[in-house]
This record gives sequence, structure tokens and C-alpha cells, in this order.
Amino acid sequence: MNRRLYLRSLTASSVAATAGCLDVLSLEGSDDGLVLEPPENDLSEATHPSYGDEFLATSVPDPLTGETVSTDQFEGERAMLVTFFYTSCPDGVCPALILRLRRAQEVAAQEGYGDDAAFLAMTFDPERDTEDALRTYAGQQGVDLEAGNWHFLRPERYEDAKSIVDGRYGLPIEKRDADEYENLEYMFPHFSYIFLVNERGLVERVYPDGATIATSKVVEDFETVVTA
Amino acid sequence: MRRRDVLAGIGSLSVIGTAGALAIRGPPSFDGTDDPKNSNGSASTATDPITIETVDAPGSEAGEVRVPAPDRATFVDFFGTWCPPCIEQMPALAEANDRIGDDVLFLSATSEAVGSSVSEKELVGWWDEHGGNWLLGLDPTAELTARYLAGGYPSAVVIDADGRVQWSDSGVKTADELVAGIERAIEAEADA
Repeated sequence: MNRRLYLRSLTASSVAATAGCLDVLSLEGSDDGLVLEPPENDLSEATHPSYGDEFLATSVPDPLTGETVSTDQFEGERAMLVTFFYTSCPDGVCPALILRLRRAQEVAAQEGYGDDAAFLAMTFDPERDTEDALRTYAGQQGVDLEAGNWHFLRPERYEDAKSIVDGRYGLPIEKRDADEYENLEYMFPHFSYIFLVNERGLVERVYPDGATIATSKVVEDFETVVTA
Repeated sequence: MRRRDVLAGIGSLSVIGTAGALAIRGPPSFDGTDDPKNSNGSASTATDPITIETVDAPGSEAGEVRVPAPDRATFVDFFGTWCPPCIEQMPALAEANDRIGDDVLFLSATSEAVGSSVSEKELVGWWDEHGGNWLLGLDPTAELTARYLAGGYPSAVVIDADGRVQWSDSGVKTADELVAGIERAIEAEADA
């Protein structure tokens, strides 16, 4: 489709008409507020937010900083990578998700745009993912909690998490017995998504295969969006 | 990796997949989860080597290595001291190292925060306790892990001297599987 192209041609003409808009336009390249081109996979029919959609705001406590973080509080300031996980994840999927955010955090620090970035990892297992558990996990996964751009989000109850992950962001989740794992009482079948949200609060990319997509791809896309 | 493990790995997903398929429209979300090429992306082509610091531990000495090695195939096991299946993986790694370790750069690497969340002493203690007896490396920026991790932990990759990924897999693997993966890289070199 061509909503974007259409808007872009509008942009071009409005540039000609009002030179005063140039500085605004130069921030993002085109006035649909998006930096990246549309993805190869059109996920616009999915139940979850996709390319160009507003990333709906949610407020969730960050137990490590003691503040409540709203996903829209970074608008105008930081682009975000957002994912959903739990530390007891038995199959390595969640560390793989966290690795992608963590690597983007590392590169952001190296390249000097750490203050323009935010990394949000929301647990849906508040019962086990206490403040201490999350702090320990951060160390295990190499997350830099001192950088000031990483937030673990912890809803009060699983039911709250479910209403956010499933209800708000359209990613079904369930809680069930983990009979196949010796040291695990219950587990959460979940989708391993990563969302890349620009500083206007719009979704630039959805990575449905967030645990396996090339980390370099996520990092490059994020850098493109942050530094646009 | 064993098919069963692949399914276990994404089992948490595929279980819900039945329900999720209805709820989440659009292209399938889990294509290629068990395809190592997919997880490596650009890593399957030659890339700049990464310098990895190695630590003083059984079978390992403090220093630096280049990954991939310029003159032979490189095997890397990605693990964490926090990861129970990584403990389970150690005996097969030891056996593979005994069988074929001399023919390649054979390395285990962790990207956890050594020095804060776990001390180097604790890391070496873990290593010793679980029979580690080969090169032990640190990946504090996760650059190496980010490039080669094939899914979850533990994860293994074999890279030939030209930087091409010849084999990678996640989950607990048998010694035979590890050796077969390494042999694939050695054969690729012989053919080149």
C-alpha cells in the first residue's frame, strides 16, 4: 500500500510550501513519523501492534528503581525495545530475548546514544520474579542496570500481566503446570516478541521471532531509528 | 540437536500456538526457529574476528584468543553458571574435547557479568566442579554471543577458518553431535 508514499508526496509539497517545517522533517525523514521502511512481512492484520501503529501505553512498576514506568513516558526522548519474559523460562528463549536488548544496550553505550534509548523487559511472573530475582537475573544476563535506560517491569499479579500482554498487546499467554521440568512447578507458554518503538511512540518493527532473529539485525534497526 | 529438544525449546510456544494461531493472524511467527542459519543471519558469512579474553582455570590460561581462529576451525560452547542445562552439557563437552579438541580451537564462553553478578573465582569454581578442562573465555559485551548464539543456552557453534558457520545448535547435545558438527567444519576446510 501506499499510505506512506502518499504521505511522503504530501510531505514533499509541504516542504516546498513552508520552508519552516524543514527542521521538523529532517528529524524523521518523512512525516508519517516512521524511520524504517515497511517490513517484508506485513503483520498489519495481526492482533498485536505492528508497523506504524501506536504502541499503547501501559504503566507498570519497575521494582529495581522503585518508580512506575509508563511506556509512553519516553515519547519525544527515547526509542524503545520492549519484550516480555520471565526469569524461570526453562528453555532458553527468554535469555535469548534479553540478549538482544542487552546487546543493543551495550552498543548504545559504545556509540553514545544510551540516553536516547530505553529497554523495557516485562515479566509476567511477578510471583517468582521479585526485585531480588530480577536483580540477579540482570547480572546473569549482563544487563547494565546503572546505565539508567533499562527497566524491568513487574505487574502486581499474573492476571495483570496477562491483561497487558494478551489484552493490551495481543500476544496470547497462559500459565500451566510444568510437568516436563523437574525443578519447575509452573510455566508460561508465551510468544517471544520484541517491539521496536520510536520516540514518537510508533511501532517501527515487530520481531515475532525475537529469540532467534539475528541480534545484529535488531541492533542495526534500533540504531537507525534512534539516530534518525 | 535432537528434534525432541527443538520441540521442547519452542514447546512453550507451539503449545499455545494452537490457540495463538487463531488469535494472532498474519504469517506464521515461528518459521525457522530450529534453523541455525536463521538464527545466525549474517554470521554465516565471514566477519571480523572478535578478541576474547580467556581466564586462568583448569585447562585454560589467562590470555586472549581470536574467534574465529585464523588457522583452524573454532568450536564455541555458550553457557552461563546460572543455567542448569549448561551443567548437564559439560560431560559431553569434555568427551568431545578429548576426542577432537586438539584439531580445533575449543572454547566455552559466558556473557554473564563476571566480576559483579558472579566473581571470577565463582566462575572458575563452577568450571572445576563440572569438569571443565579446556579454554574458558569471557564475552562481557556479548558481542560473540550475539553473533553466534543459536537460540537458548547452552548453545554451540562451529566456525571454519574462513569465518563461515558450519554448524550451530542449541540445547543439550551429545558428544557425538558435537563431534559431528566439528568434523563438518574440518571437512569443509579440507575441501576448500
